[in-house]
Amino acid sequence: MTCVELQQSLAEVEDGSSPEQRAHLLGCPACMLLVKELDLIIAAAGQLQSADEPSPRVWNSIALSLREEGLIRPQRRLPVSSFGTRWGVARWLVPVAAMLLLSVGIYVRRETPSRPIFSQASVAPSATTSDMNDEDLIQEMAANTPAMKTQYQDSLRRVNESIREAQGVLDENPNDEDARRFLMNAYEQKSMLFQMAMDHSLP
Amino acid sequence: MTEPRQQSSTELSEAEAIERAKLGDAEAFQVLYDKHKRRVYSLCLRMTANTAEAEDLAQEAFLQLYRKIATFRGESAFSTWLHRLSVNVVLMHLRKKNLPVVSLEETTQGADEDSPRKDFGADDVALAGSIDRLQLQRAVDSLPPGYRTIFVLHDIEGYEHNEIAKIAGCSIGNSKSQLHKARMKLRDLLKMNRAEKATRSRVG
Repeated sequence: MTCVELQQSLAEVEDGSSPEQRAHLLGCPACMLLVKELDLIIAAAGQLQSADEPSPRVWNSIALSLREEGLIRPQRRLPVSSFGTRWGVARWLVPVAAMLLLSVGIYVRRETPSRPIFSQASVAPSATTSDMNDEDLIQEMAANTPAMKTQYQDSLRRVNESIREAQGVLDENPNDEDARRFLMNAYEQKSMLFQMAMDHSLP
Repeated sequence: MTEPRQQSSTELSEAEAIERAKLGDAEAFQVLYDKHKRRVYSLCLRMTANTAEAEDLAQEAFLQLYRKIATFRGESAFSTWLHRLSVNVVLMHLRKKNLPVVSLEETTQGADEDSPRKDFGADDVALAGSIDRLQLQRAVDSLPPGYRTIFVLHDIEGYEHNEIAKIAGCSIGNSKSQLHKARMKLRDLLKMNRAEKATRSRVG
């Protein structure tokens, strides 16, 4: 094996451990140095994984996009003035979301007639009555999947807060289309939670 | 002031964060971001050698992740899923820019700079001791995009040649050959860098 052949062969056997490579390396200090230096580069490469920190701009842009796309809930109180008008078409979705929630309630009652998990009222768009019926659901969850109880409690609390806030804004200004959209989103999230709870609760 | 939020974020396990993110929990999204941001961003930065592009691509990778998170069923590790997705985002970007994801073997094999050289063991500056991270980072940034992609995927991110062949759409042999050439090129760049430093210190 020549030096050039040794170099070419390192693409296949990179540590120079084949019998032909070893035979050449024993008598060629230059090629031995080459193999050692390539090993050094390979070992150093690992240092570059996770070596750099992105600027805060990256997360800020992600968070902004997530909110714009409706993938996350706003965490602070709804600023009425910040609502735009581009969500006006969502008005009709509020009764649809309520109907969806209602049908979830009816379905659960039908499945468990002797012991209702939650009543139809719990899914109607009334924040004051929903808390009590949510408690029924939490109890049911705790009985079936205790590990999930805290998670559901927390998620329900958050979604109820969102509903209350949006409802408050709508009470002050019934024509606020964005508050209506926000309310609809909150009900959709609550519907999703109930659906997940049902999946865990039903036999 | 932000300590309480950070504390609760670290308390949330990755599995919990994934489930909460599926429900649209903002904090859960941030927990997942904080846990993986360095690796995703570093991958993007190494493959593009451009800070602004890397930030845009890291952002795009996480956004795609969050949009698809409801479909994550946990069959594969979350980190594997995210890093594969990030690699795809970067490769797509490189293709859009008409940058070669891998160099074509046919076009590089005969080229002078890629041909096996006889002077590779010449008595020049040796890479003795350890290689400084910053030095290596600069050298990787200087690699031609095709070489850089394979080097980053294999030697930094730990992908196997068969995986790289699938991701980058090349043969396993091509991946091996490109990686070897990338390492040889890096060795040259690092040696040049050391030689320049030695000259400067002698002159200074």
